[in-house]
Amino acid sequence: MYSIAEILIGVIQGLAIILLSPLITGIMQKTKARTQKRIGATILQPYYDIIKLIKKDEVVSDQSSWIFKVCPWINFVALATAAFFIPLFLTYSPFGLAGDLLLVVGLFALARFFTMLAGLDVASSFGGLGSSREMMFSALLEPALFLTIFIVALTYGGTNLSTIVAAVAGATLLPHPQLIFAAIAMFIIVLGETGRLPFDNPATHLELTMVHEAMVLEYSGKSLALIEWSQAIKLMILLALVVNIFAPWGISSSITVATLGIGFISLVAKISLLAVIIAYLESTIAKWRLFRIPDLITIAIASSMIGMVLYYL
Amino acid sequence: MIENLSLLQIAIVLFVTGSLLGLFSRNSKFTRMLTFVPTMIASFFTVLFSVITITGKPFHFIIPNVLPFINFEIFADGIAAFFLLVISIVSFAVSLYSIGYMKEYETTKRTSVFGFLFNIFILSMILVVISNNSFFFLIFWELMSLTSFFLVIYDHDREENVKSGMTYLIMTQFGTAFILASFLLGYIQTGSFSFDVFHNSSSSFPFLTKNLIFLFAFIGFGTKAGIIPLHIWLPKAHTSAPSNVSALMSAVMIKIGIYGMVRTIFDLGGFGLSPDYSWWGLLMIVVGSVSAIIGVLYAVIEHDMKRALAFSSIENIGIILIGLGLSVVFASLNLTILSALALVASMYHTINHAVFKGLLFMGAGSVVYATHTRNMEHLGGLIKKMPWTALLFLIGAISISGLPPFNGFISEWLTMQALLSSYQIPSTILQISVAFASIPFALTIGIAAATFVKLFGISFLSRPRSEHIAKIKEVPRSMIAGMSILAAICILFGVLPFLGISLLDTAFHLLPHPASPFDAITLQNNSAKSFANLSMPVVVIMLSSMAAAIFGFIKVIGGKTRKTTFSTWDCGFGSLDQRMEYTATSLSQPIRTVFKTLFRPHNKIQKEFFGGTDSYLLKTLKVESVTKNIFEENLYLPIISSCIYIFDKIRKLQTGKINAYLLYIMITVVLLLLFVRLSHNV
Repeated sequence: MYSIAEILIGVIQGLAIILLSPLITGIMQKTKARTQKRIGATILQPYYDIIKLIKKDEVVSDQSSWIFKVCPWINFVALATAAFFIPLFLTYSPFGLAGDLLLVVGLFALARFFTMLAGLDVASSFGGLGSSREMMFSALLEPALFLTIFIVALTYGGTNLSTIVAAVAGATLLPHPQLIFAAIAMFIIVLGETGRLPFDNPATHLELTMVHEAMVLEYSGKSLALIEWSQAIKLMILLALVVNIFAPWGISSSITVATLGIGFISLVAKISLLAVIIAYLESTIAKWRLFRIPDLITIAIASSMIGMVLYYL
Repeated sequence: MIENLSLLQIAIVLFVTGSLLGLFSRNSKFTRMLTFVPTMIASFFTVLFSVITITGKPFHFIIPNVLPFINFEIFADGIAAFFLLVISIVSFAVSLYSIGYMKEYETTKRTSVFGFLFNIFILSMILVVISNNSFFFLIFWELMSLTSFFLVIYDHDREENVKSGMTYLIMTQFGTAFILASFLLGYIQTGSFSFDVFHNSSSSFPFLTKNLIFLFAFIGFGTKAGIIPLHIWLPKAHTSAPSNVSALMSAVMIKIGIYGMVRTIFDLGGFGLSPDYSWWGLLMIVVGSVSAIIGVLYAVIEHDMKRALAFSSIENIGIILIGLGLSVVFASLNLTILSALALVASMYHTINHAVFKGLLFMGAGSVVYATHTRNMEHLGGLIKKMPWTALLFLIGAISISGLPPFNGFISEWLTMQALLSSYQIPSTILQISVAFASIPFALTIGIAAATFVKLFGISFLSRPRSEHIAKIKEVPRSMIAGMSILAAICILFGVLPFLGISLLDTAFHLLPHPASPFDAITLQNNSAKSFANLSMPVVVIMLSSMAAAIFGFIKVIGGKTRKTTFSTWDCGFGSLDQRMEYTATSLSQPIRTVFKTLFRPHNKIQKEFFGGTDSYLLKTLKVESVTKNIFEENLYLPIISSCIYIFDKIRKLQTGKINAYLLYIMITVVLLLLFVRLSHNV
């Protein structure tokens, strides 16, 4: 079905997400530092952090069970496996035969399920608080995300990511009005899913505001490295999806060195740009009150509902 | 054929033996063995029977003229055999579990009666599914309802259990009345009680009759399935019944309601429905969506384990109905392949729900067995005391949350694909209405995951919330074995979905089967490109190789590091205790606040002051967070109170004086004479 070269590139695409993801996090941190008139750490800092954490000793809570110990591994395995289904700089991934966009969403949910359990496992109020808020976010983001997938799948003929991205690459510039609304919804979903402002502030450890950080507060050493890395992978997957579904320019549809090179460079440029935009936005807005967040998610749901009606009309 | 019949006969004889042994053993030490072992063997034979029937020819058996003009007919085609399989797999696991579980009741109750009812209950469900005659169908249906009623009130020392039993009895009779009405309409049209006759002549039924038959059957079977707003009995009965009975009721009995609906739709023309009947499907989708979303919203705020599971059953019945409704919509528009896809999705979810809900109720039963409480606020930390129960409950929780690579994911994936396929419907209005069903569906899945994070997290993880948990120990082996069977099926149906799909294809005579276990589930779009692909075995291989790779990577880079165990971070204030943990109620507080229109949450505050009314010195303060059950308060209470009002008025007729009664008789006779006279003139 697929040649060796294609399978090889499929593997490279998956590995590229796993390996480049800390870089994107680094770019975001640098941007935030710059907008706050700081010099900031180098964009390679997340790599140093991960390596450092892997070599460190660990402290484990005496209240915790095996759920707490396996959670970082399940997180990493689920999200890193999801990375292999994403067409990155080639319009298809041979792994698309095994799973589609809904599977990717399912793997995200699996990772989140265990993170929420790990938050409860350590018996502190912080963990429970994080899990409780995450329960609300994830439950409300689910319909928004599914509606967006609905529009994209109907417009491009499938939930199979290779089909979608290939159709996007072959289409003219934003040929469908519903995609604008889908893009608005998707942008809000990305902020929510990756715990960015105004949903959650990844840079703080203040009990009033933290969500994701509260659930993983007890982690240290190797486990923390895995958690941080898998968060970076999740961010990179979502950004790659946004870029490849809504702004496919430059993506390669054939296997030649030149087009693959262009595809790779343009992808890194686009994702970095998107990361810079998100980081800049994060610097300019404050975190919203917890019970105003549903309003924002409602905007996403409403936007994708308009998109869906537009598709059918 | 003969072989088939003897398998079924052996099973029936064994069920009867089990029940009689239960009665005659009179609470001896061996009662549990004597009653539940025959059930297990009988269930095993029923599994064999249904597998042989699914793969072979339909099974037909008639005893003519048992009652005057009524034949006793048994007919098991693929559909019936599929439901038999669901019943018998779960009853096998549950009876194994019951051997250990009933020990708890041995000292306080008569387990012999329980064994009798338990066997008859399972037998009646089997007979309902295979009877091919509306007369016997109703007899067995009532037998099923009554035995389950007695099982619900088995623990009748508590008044609340008797109350829930009564609610169950009334609602189930309400449902039966509608089923009876539906069958009588069929009888008026055909003059026969036989389902075969209904099936063969249904195409000549008038339009209105067909619709009425469907509507009555939908209400009747829907009551049994627990659709909203007829669900009122379900959370009560499931909570009051002993956990092994709840497992059977939730996993199997409510599926008989689904079976009834499938039968009605198939018998009224099967897949030859015309577009006039699209509204059947739409009704099912709407009711399914409402049941799913309201069911799961009540489940997530619940702190009683079994009640939460019961509400989650309503949710899953909703998901099954969405699939079934989609199948009817597609069938009525002659989109046969899509209809088959939606039917597979819905039936896959039926068997999945039977398996994981059976497992979860048994898990909750184990918790009750060990701790004697269902209230999650008093649990916590069970994973250290009951490691096996915790692991098996976790498998059930992941499966029901629809997470890969477990079975719930497969059926929810299929249902989503069926929803997505609505773009092939020719009418725009219908397209949009069906597509909008995806919003409640997706919201349901999101909240379902939150529900089971709460159920597992609060009960099994973190610090024990009450002292007696320190003394509990793991449940007996037979209970763990019973749960393990269903947990294994959860994994099997998740990792190898081709098993379930080819089973359904054969049973319902649908699409071509997947050829090999590694074949992906493939759907194609209009331009013959892949619409969606899913191959779970490959995904599992990818997951495990990724796990091996990252484990190796971390070990090589990080080398050996020390792990220290220390207390949880307490901000330097010292001594965290169980009162500082999150509780079940606080965990779901954000969701309760977001959906406050439905829950109407408010805090009941009771203050007690020193010296009576001195409002500065507080002696005690009690805060209770209360939510309203809007269905009970706004729909059922008005009906009940108006009934009581009318009965009060009617009671005035009952004066107790003989002259008054004679007057009533005379008035009646005069009215009847007038009626006869007048109707003759016309």
